[in-house]
Amino acid sequence: MKKFFVLAVILGFVVSFGCAQKKVVAPEAQQPTAPQPSKETVKPSEKVTEEKVPPIQSKELPSSVEEVSGMFEDIHFDFDKYDIRDDVKPILKSVSDYLIKNAGQRLLIEGHCDERGTAEYNLGLGDRRAKAAKDYLISLGVPSSRLDTISYGKEKPLCDEHTEDCWAKNRRAHFVIMKGKK
Amino acid sequence: MIAIASHISNTKYRTAFFIALCLLCTLHSHFSVADAKVYIDVTSPAVKKLPIAISEFPGPSGREISDIIRDDLDFTGIFLVLDRNAFLEAPTQPFNPNNWTVLGVEVVVKGTVRSDNNSVSIVSLYDVGEGKEIFKKEYRAEAGLTRPLAHSIANDIYNQITNEAGIFRTRIAYITRFSGHDELSIMDWDGQRSYRTGIKSSLLLSPRWAKDGSKLIYSAERNRQWGIYLLDFKKQSEKKVFSAKGTNLAGDFFPNADEFALSSSMGGTSNIYLYRISESKLVRLTASRSVEVTPTVSPDGKYIAFVSDRQGSPQIFIMDKEGYDVRRLTFSGPYNTAPSWSPKGDKIVFSGRYSGRNQIFTINTDGSGITQLTDRGNNEDPSFSPDGRYIVFISDRDGGRSIYIMRANGEAQKRITPKGERAFGPRWSPN
Repeated sequence: MKKFFVLAVILGFVVSFGCAQKKVVAPEAQQPTAPQPSKETVKPSEKVTEEKVPPIQSKELPSSVEEVSGMFEDIHFDFDKYDIRDDVKPILKSVSDYLIKNAGQRLLIEGHCDERGTAEYNLGLGDRRAKAAKDYLISLGVPSSRLDTISYGKEKPLCDEHTEDCWAKNRRAHFVIMKGKK
Repeated sequence: MIAIASHISNTKYRTAFFIALCLLCTLHSHFSVADAKVYIDVTSPAVKKLPIAISEFPGPSGREISDIIRDDLDFTGIFLVLDRNAFLEAPTQPFNPNNWTVLGVEVVVKGTVRSDNNSVSIVSLYDVGEGKEIFKKEYRAEAGLTRPLAHSIANDIYNQITNEAGIFRTRIAYITRFSGHDELSIMDWDGQRSYRTGIKSSLLLSPRWAKDGSKLIYSAERNRQWGIYLLDFKKQSEKKVFSAKGTNLAGDFFPNADEFALSSSMGGTSNIYLYRISESKLVRLTASRSVEVTPTVSPDGKYIAFVSDRQGSPQIFIMDKEGYDVRRLTFSGPYNTAPSWSPKGDKIVFSGRYSGRNQIFTINTDGSGITQLTDRGNNEDPSFSPDGRYIVFISDRDGGRSIYIMRANGEAQKRITPKGERAFGPRWSPN
């Protein structure tokens, strides 16, 4: 019986202290009536500092590849789509003809979007457009090893207007001939 | 307890037991009652604004300092800041609660500034109801640090009132677009004191802070290649951490500052990966033929939310850190992208297409409680402040793309980058 009694008291203390620790500690307790600032009211002095970070030199190595743009027209896509439309197939045919004739040259296909989607998802759509053009060129006989793709999403628009005309212009794949060593 | 007592047959022990019980009760109540005053419980849903007066500080730059404190506290939305023109007590007069009770003010901030080699401010906080000073502190700062000084004072006042840390010394990393190249800059959270880091590229995207604030990763397109780069503030260096054929975009860091999530289309279409910097190790997390981008990491590092069009349209999904247990989060609307997880863990903010335009929404991580926060222009790329109480985002409502901040409930939306500047990709520093 005595043991039980001691155990109950100990348990009671443990529970009591445990509960006290769970309580949220509120801001500093107010001193009763003292008009002078007490030790708790006055905080230690602070020196406000700031780490100055000097500008970093961004290194962009020069490109060793000669690029030729504008040899071919851009091909265009429907909104939110990456299908190769029938009306652009003649352009792709002329691209494949050129590459087959000029075996030493590589082609970079850029994929672009209009402004309406968000930046990162549009980079995915741009990837799909570039890849769709690449796949079509492969089906026309161009070796895949000579075709590279890059997506620019909506980051490099040709125009800024918020019109259907401008949006249609921006939904494009653009062809760049790459000469020289990569 | 009473049942136990009835089993104690011996009366001596029973009495002792009851005395012990009473002792425990009084001890317990001594610990449990909060002695100090809690001014504002910022976690409660319907907060009554606390009427506060911020006196102008006499002394060099005193007005500027007190104005910054006023603007900081006003932006929180939890204070009712009184116009100085209504004050009865001059800045140099000693605090007298009678001058303030008539105006309904509950808390008063007063201070003075003097200059020796540094600027020295002494700031006091007074409780009108109690009629006395409850906080006093001296701040020293070198010349040119007036704004950080004022923000430090605002942080302390905010903490005194709410018992939470203020965000007034945090910064926002962002990108500015010039014709021909992009630059990475950092500004104070309120848009002031912007400085260029020196990082430049033909294109820059998605800066992401490590949780300790010591570094930033970001995506850069250089020489026809997308790569992920790391800016280390301590080492004052930039280095490439990841590159592969395809579009590679930096996502959130994990809490450990060594791992980050990213998306890469190296495997065909963009999928989600994890990269461990110290081991140069890449771990693939999703393997689908869909476009999957913008991975954002939960504050405990256990989950990743991301965009995927695996079910047709771009929507937000959540998976665990290993890539298992994928579940869809957004079900309404045709296009939900750009998710970012709140540092509080309970919500995700994102951009959803609504009536043909992009708007900012928040949603609970269990999928409930979708709330639309914007309705003007196109609004994208949102993310939270480190305390989860504010959101930074981009909007074209005033013309070109600019950076805006607002409270997490959509109130107080304001532009913080200049109108003519094309600014985007903002991310709030963790400290």
